[in-house]
Amino acid sequence: MKIGFIGLGVMGRPMALHLHKAGHELWVWARRPEKIADFPATVCATPAELGRQCAVVFTVVTSSQDVETLALGDNSLSEGLAPDSVLIDCSTIAPESARHIAAELGKKGIHFLDAPVSGGAQGAIDATLAIMAGGDAAVLERVRPLLECLGKRIVHIGPNGAGQVAKACNQMIMVAAIEAVAEAMRLAQAAGVDCAKVKQALSGGSAASRVLDVMGERMVKRDFAAGIEARLHHKDFGLVLEAARKSGVPVPLTAAVSQQLNSLMAQGMGRDDTASLLRVLESG
Amino acid sequence: MKIGFIGLGIMGRAMALNLIKGGHEVTVWARRAESMQPLLEAGATGAGSAGEAAKGVELVISMVADAPDVAEVMRAVAQTAQPGLVAVDMSTIAPAAAQQIGKDLAAAGVDFIDAPVSGGEVGAIAGTLSIMAGGSEAGFARAKPAFECMGKNIIHVGESGAGQVTKAANQIVTGMGVLAVAEAMAFASKNGVDRSKVREALLGGFAYSKILENHGQRMLDRNFKPGFKSWMHEKDLNIVMQTAHELGLCLPGSAATAQMFNAMVGSGLGEEDSIAVLKLLERLSGQE
Repeated sequence: MKIGFIGLGVMGRPMALHLHKAGHELWVWARRPEKIADFPATVCATPAELGRQCAVVFTVVTSSQDVETLALGDNSLSEGLAPDSVLIDCSTIAPESARHIAAELGKKGIHFLDAPVSGGAQGAIDATLAIMAGGDAAVLERVRPLLECLGKRIVHIGPNGAGQVAKACNQMIMVAAIEAVAEAMRLAQAAGVDCAKVKQALSGGSAASRVLDVMGERMVKRDFAAGIEARLHHKDFGLVLEAARKSGVPVPLTAAVSQQLNSLMAQGMGRDDTASLLRVLESG
Repeated sequence: MKIGFIGLGIMGRAMALNLIKGGHEVTVWARRAESMQPLLEAGATGAGSAGEAAKGVELVISMVADAPDVAEVMRAVAQTAQPGLVAVDMSTIAPAAAQQIGKDLAAAGVDFIDAPVSGGEVGAIAGTLSIMAGGSEAGFARAKPAFECMGKNIIHVGESGAGQVTKAANQIVTGMGVLAVAEAMAFASKNGVDRSKVREALLGGFAYSKILENHGQRMLDRNFKPGFKSWMHEKDLNIVMQTAHELGLCLPGSAATAQMFNAMVGSGLGEEDSIAVLKLLERLSGQE
């Protein structure tokens, strides 16, 4: 089928290619079309035009504002998409924003799923992403075969916004774990102990985790090239803290970690991997 | 001087009354008409809208809740302003929001001063507020006679937004200060030591502060009546944390403190004074 795809970055590009490989016809739009000239897809002039061509559209962009502009702004998808078509947003944005977009599109009979993903660039390439969906369960079932091209674990969390809440929870746990690994590595290093050995030993015990495996390895090798750029986790933490504030829920550890991320940004590491939290500890 | 005054809550009402007492000709407007009544009785003129309150005056002052309110009020003011009007906002809002409002008003020929205050209801009634102003030298000078009716410690800190930066800094110090005093109190009593004696001893040393003296006494009295409501302190700390996020600024103490205030709002202590953070600590430490 014809599938629209907007946002061909580190995550979006491999995701779109999986859909292409599964036999779907891709229609794309990009702010800078020269960046996608080599892509096996038809390039559209506006999101609205893309919407007119496709019954299912994916977006994988950065901010709430980006998604709102693409969905609802001038020449947006809402102007092109037909009633009963589906917009699947795989970006990480504020739950509130997702609900707002869903409500606005709903007025035109367009379905919206918030379907943020976890698994990073490697997960996108391997098509092993975890996908957490918010929206109408029946709509999710309709597009599930497409999502199965992208990920292994596809969970319907609840109504619109629920997928983004789950993603916020994911980010809290993951980035706090990265900070914990960084602090452990820093302590080992300062005590003159071999970080690689520590990591190797810990991986067999109760502290074993995916973050220790992947991020610990980066720290041991001092490979700080992104992966997922730390500035995106910094952005996500802004969303998490805002959501916690709106609910009156204290999140002391998240708040502490957010300050380490602020320091990371201030030291110009925003485009590097979040494993750079180790370097923040070394700087202070 | 002819002054328009917009926003007549606990703070605004007392401040406007002091302007009238100081001999200024004051026109007032508030969203809720009934809050204008005490001012009308004191000799103020009532206006039908924010724009009308700014008509024909040399100075307009706003004292409202949050940045969107200030922006809305100031948009109305810009439409009726006479040339050379100075607009002063004394609410606590984000520095970036104040700068944006300043720019918008400058385009309409209005000189904008951000001048948030510290000192609470007591200071507002007594006319002893601390006023921290940002904006042009000329605008500050024009507003100064009005400031002198409302406050004692009046500082022109710098350019547009500088007043709000100062206020945010003030909230960092007072937020962590209240928490520090509350923690010291909880620490003393969990160790079985008399809190009031601890406070008394500390007052003579390097830990002396106004917060230890005044807020500490209210903690001993368990007088949690506001004062300064903890949800407002939470709002102000949120301004601090958002600004830190945007700038890439590491503020671990403020972040931890903001979460305590967040917990207060979430657990029903939002309407109590910020010293009720002591209650939260006691709950967390099984001291209830």
